[in-house]
Amino acid sequence: MTAEHKYAFYLGCIAPNRYPGSEAASIRTSKKLGIDLVPLEGASCCPAPGAFGSIDLNVWYAMAARNIVLAEQKGLDIALICNGCYKSIYEVNHKLKHNKELREGVNEVLKEIDMEFKGTIDVWHLGELLYDPEIVGVEKIRESIKVPLKGVKIAVHYGCHLLKPKKERHLGSTENPMWVEELVEALGAETVQYRNKMQCCGAGGGVRGYDLTHALDITNEKLTNMVEAGADAVVDLCPFCQLQFDRGQIEIEEKFGIKYDMPVFHYAELLGLAQGMNPSELALDLHAINTEPFLKKVL
Amino acid sequence: MVTKNYPDPKLNEKLRDRYYRRDQSNPEFTKETEKLAGSMAHMCYQCGTCTGGCPSAPRSTYRIREFMRRGVLGLEEEALTDPDLWLCTTCYSCTDRCPRDLAPTDVIMAMRNLAFRRDIIPVNFLKTVTAIYASGHGVPNNDVNRAAREKLGLTRDPPTTHMYPEYIKGIRKILDHYNLKENADRIIKEREG
Ligand code: SF4
Ligand code: SF4
Repeated sequence: MTAEHKYAFYLGCIAPNRYPGSEAASIRTSKKLGIDLVPLEGASCCPAPGAFGSIDLNVWYAMAARNIVLAEQKGLDIALICNGCYKSIYEVNHKLKHNKELREGVNEVLKEIDMEFKGTIDVWHLGELLYDPEIVGVEKIRESIKVPLKGVKIAVHYGCHLLKPKKERHLGSTENPMWVEELVEALGAETVQYRNKMQCCGAGGGVRGYDLTHALDITNEKLTNMVEAGADAVVDLCPFCQLQFDRGQIEIEEKFGIKYDMPVFHYAELLGLAQGMNPSELALDLHAINTEPFLKKVL
Repeated sequence: MVTKNYPDPKLNEKLRDRYYRRDQSNPEFTKETEKLAGSMAHMCYQCGTCTGGCPSAPRSTYRIREFMRRGVLGLEEEALTDPDLWLCTTCYSCTDRCPRDLAPTDVIMAMRNLAFRRDIIPVNFLKTVTAIYASGHGVPNNDVNRAAREKLGLTRDPPTTHMYPEYIKGIRKILDHYNLKENADRIIKEREG
């Protein structure tokens, strides 16, 4: 199928450098659904909104703007697969478009590297493009499935920065959204509702680096709630949340002596599996938590 | 004026120490916080909705409502030196729920920016800066991952600054514009030698 929708694929850090299966799966599954993701050469860290935003918001704006301008120069909207990147790239794009003073300040800095923010593109999370019936939509995803993921229960972790703050987003409810559940159910899997579903993974705002035990305690509470609801796996839309849940389980075992063995997937990986990609094409062996038992159930 | 007192003078003394004193307050701090945050923080009526839904509150002494109060009262020292300032995960629950729409998360970010101006910052934040200065990435590639990428049919290094290091120059210029690398190096050295 020829792709009708073309985007500059902004990678961020954690997906390409820790969970490259998500990158590979995003490109291949999107192609089947009419989305062409082309590389955004020379992009950097978004930069990490927790770290940079805490230090100096102005540097955060300028660094994010540089990534946005790379896509402006290509004349393409950005698609990305990480909630943290969404916070930086989507939000800074939005702020600079609507705040003249801020834009002029950023452009003064960008002038030093012969760049200018013009405000000519939009920024999207791949998840919202997949859900949008005008781009892909749940029906089309369902039709693309070769291996329905029958017999497993999935807990959806939305993460924070894709939906919140609500007034600076456009994705509806931040208290009990259900659209990612629809995306997961389109793959043939069941979803579960669990206590405090919208709680943060614990990693953001620099807390994972500042006080790991504190961050893990939040993660641990979420995992407990997911287990209570009978989940076989977690699915998220953010490689940083994924890292916190996946590697975090190893750290939780070390620190608190609690073992979950709960596999953690990015939605793109799950979509890849359901479209018939082989687990080896998803680098699932890089996950900290063994995905084999889950794969045995569904494949 | 009738003054209420406990019969126990020692208890009165102890409680007197909790009184808010004007000389601890810096009105400029309130103004700067509000400006950086884009929030009318002084409108906070201390309802506590923010703390009520905060994932960090039940497992620490961090109270976002208390920081809002410190902001309003101009209690700069108290706010900027409290280690709890760095326990906000920036989940934005409080921002979505605040009935007065005061964006408490952005108030915290503003206070962190002000703390950084006084070199008050945990080093993990600065290490992200130095990593990006070196490679463009906060979380850079490694050999295990390169091999995995190759097996997936991806380029060994992603098509970012990793594959196109000529773009790092521009990133350094931006960071240097704000002297951020210099300050990060200096503070890390002070802390870790
Ligand atoms: S929710 Fe808003 S008004 Fe209520 S205490 Fe928190 S910041 Fe103040
Ligand atoms: S944004 Fe920060 S202060 Fe607000 S609820 Fe989340 S962790 Fe708590």
